[in-house]
Amino acid sequence: MSKRKTVIHSIKRIVKSPYMLLLPALLFYLLFWLLPVVMSIFQSFTTVDGTPTLQNFINMFNESRFMRALINTLVFAVVSLTLQFFLAILLALLINKKFKGSRLFLFFMIIPMALPQAAVGILWNTGLTEAGWLNSLFHVTGLQTVLESLGVLDGRTLWTNVTGTRAVMTIVLIDTWTVLPSVMIIILAGLQNFNRELSEAAQVFGASRGRAVKDIVIPIIKPSIVTALLLRLIAGLQVWLISVMIFGYGRVPYLLERVVYYMSVVARTDANYRMAVSYSVFTLFVILTVAFLFVRLTSGKTEWRKADE
Amino acid sequence: MNKIIRHSLLYVLVALVVSIVLVPLMYLTTISLSSNIELGDFPKNFIPNLTVELEAEWDEDREAFTIYRYATKERRQALYRSDNFEEMARYFERYLNIYTEPEVLENDIEPIRETDEVIELRYRKNLFANYQKFFEIFSGARDALINSILAVFYTILLSLSIGGAVGYTLARTKIKGKETIGLAALVVRMFPIISISVPMAILLIRYGMFDTMLGLAFIYSIPNIGLTAWITRSIFLGIDKELEEASYVFGATKLRTLRSITIPLVIPGFAAASMYAFIIAWNDAAVALLLTDRNETLALLIFRSIGATGAIHYASAGAIILIIPALIFTFLLKDYINRIWG
Repeated sequence: MSKRKTVIHSIKRIVKSPYMLLLPALLFYLLFWLLPVVMSIFQSFTTVDGTPTLQNFINMFNESRFMRALINTLVFAVVSLTLQFFLAILLALLINKKFKGSRLFLFFMIIPMALPQAAVGILWNTGLTEAGWLNSLFHVTGLQTVLESLGVLDGRTLWTNVTGTRAVMTIVLIDTWTVLPSVMIIILAGLQNFNRELSEAAQVFGASRGRAVKDIVIPIIKPSIVTALLLRLIAGLQVWLISVMIFGYGRVPYLLERVVYYMSVVARTDANYRMAVSYSVFTLFVILTVAFLFVRLTSGKTEWRKADE
Repeated sequence: MNKIIRHSLLYVLVALVVSIVLVPLMYLTTISLSSNIELGDFPKNFIPNLTVELEAEWDEDREAFTIYRYATKERRQALYRSDNFEEMARYFERYLNIYTEPEVLENDIEPIRETDEVIELRYRKNLFANYQKFFEIFSGARDALINSILAVFYTILLSLSIGGAVGYTLARTKIKGKETIGLAALVVRMFPIISISVPMAILLIRYGMFDTMLGLAFIYSIPNIGLTAWITRSIFLGIDKELEEASYVFGATKLRTLRSITIPLVIPGFAAASMYAFIIAWNDAAVALLLTDRNETLALLIFRSIGATGAIHYASAGAIILIIPALIFTFLLKDYINRIWG
């Protein structure tokens, strides 16, 4: 009797405990996150009937577009991150003044970030064709004549008619257009948190402006930027959608583009599914490795700076 | 003097950056408002035409009216030849986005059959013609729009209920392992959602939720629950606990206090969290591509519309329809922006 009572009592305690509020979230992530992650890793290392194998990955490595996809993905992530970071810092330092209409300016800067990727794809599709708005803009502003006399352009260019690295760079530029304003806002916000007097003091003590930026401004705004850049890097490794909207499948392969290709373009067979799973697990591996390296690299530098002091 | 130069250089730079952002969007808007015929023009208009200027002439040999248009100031382009005003009105609607009655055209054009002169015509363009035609040409667009709204609704429901509970627990109870939960949320966020979508396709078939908006909402909730927990936690932390204690002192039950004191104070936070849910679910095309079959969302339909040739102006109209709510909700969230960034 008393034993039963304690059982009921402890059940009551469990039901009333604060951990119960975490239960739905726990169940949710077990069912919709952990299970698929484990399942995809398991599937990528097994055959259809469940025997362990490395054949899926061998097939993936041997796929004709694998190397291209890997290189394109890494090149895209690294180049876009570097370009956006330095351009954003440059712009933020130049604009880091209170000026009339700066609120309106920030308002405009938010727009590209808000755009759905599918809409960005349409936007640049209307721009990059022969009679598209980019050529129109060049034509109207007279830039076309300037570039033609410099030998850069030869008549109206079909911008989508590029391959290889230049195609990747096209997507880098589109991505930069989409993302740069928001990177700049983050850096501006970081700059505004920091005390201007610090940098002036450094200059009083004889540091050059460049040195003041490097040794004082950057370390102070670093924490907010590092997280932002890490998220940007991870997002960069997941490029595919806009590229497919502009170049189609297969022409400029990326890792996730391959995943989507094997999932939704070709026939739904077991072999294609295994290919998609292998690519997706491999992408995961690449993302985790790059993120780990990035964290090591950035936090390592901070320690070195501290030691220097 | 130096200061003036630097000041104007700053404004030049700001103007340049703003125009790099806005010019492409302006062109997209103009293209979304242009007719079939205007779509072929080069250079493309930067500012949309509100009216269409045409010329009409009676062609004696063919016994029909010829309609001309000036593509540029010098280049006159023959568009259409007919003496049937019903057909002409249909042509105007289809290719020029001019919605007019055949009787009006007859009134305007018929007189020149006798006089043999060239007349100038000027009609108002139906600006939103492409927006109507978008829903006609992409036959699934209406359903896709409804689907997008449904997916958003389910995502909000799931994220707020599950994430809100976590946020409350983290802020108000003394449980162990709060750091672990925070770390787990970060790891979950770092995982590419599309990698989860691949095995999810099979799981959702098993759960009977493949090709449903609820199934999509479960995936969209993965990053969102963590985010909601994070937002609501800071909101719950910000609420003065004494208010609630005062409520207990006056004899209110825990539930009653929650209902009439805590929840009203939390609503802004929940609103912010729902807007995030909205943006994630509304903007996504990738997950929807893998996890639906016939039930498209609007973003997915826009993604697929790229293949339809000669329909880029309708697709542009669709893109604008997709952009507007996303813009509104992002602006409402401006203050939180640093936190979803990535």
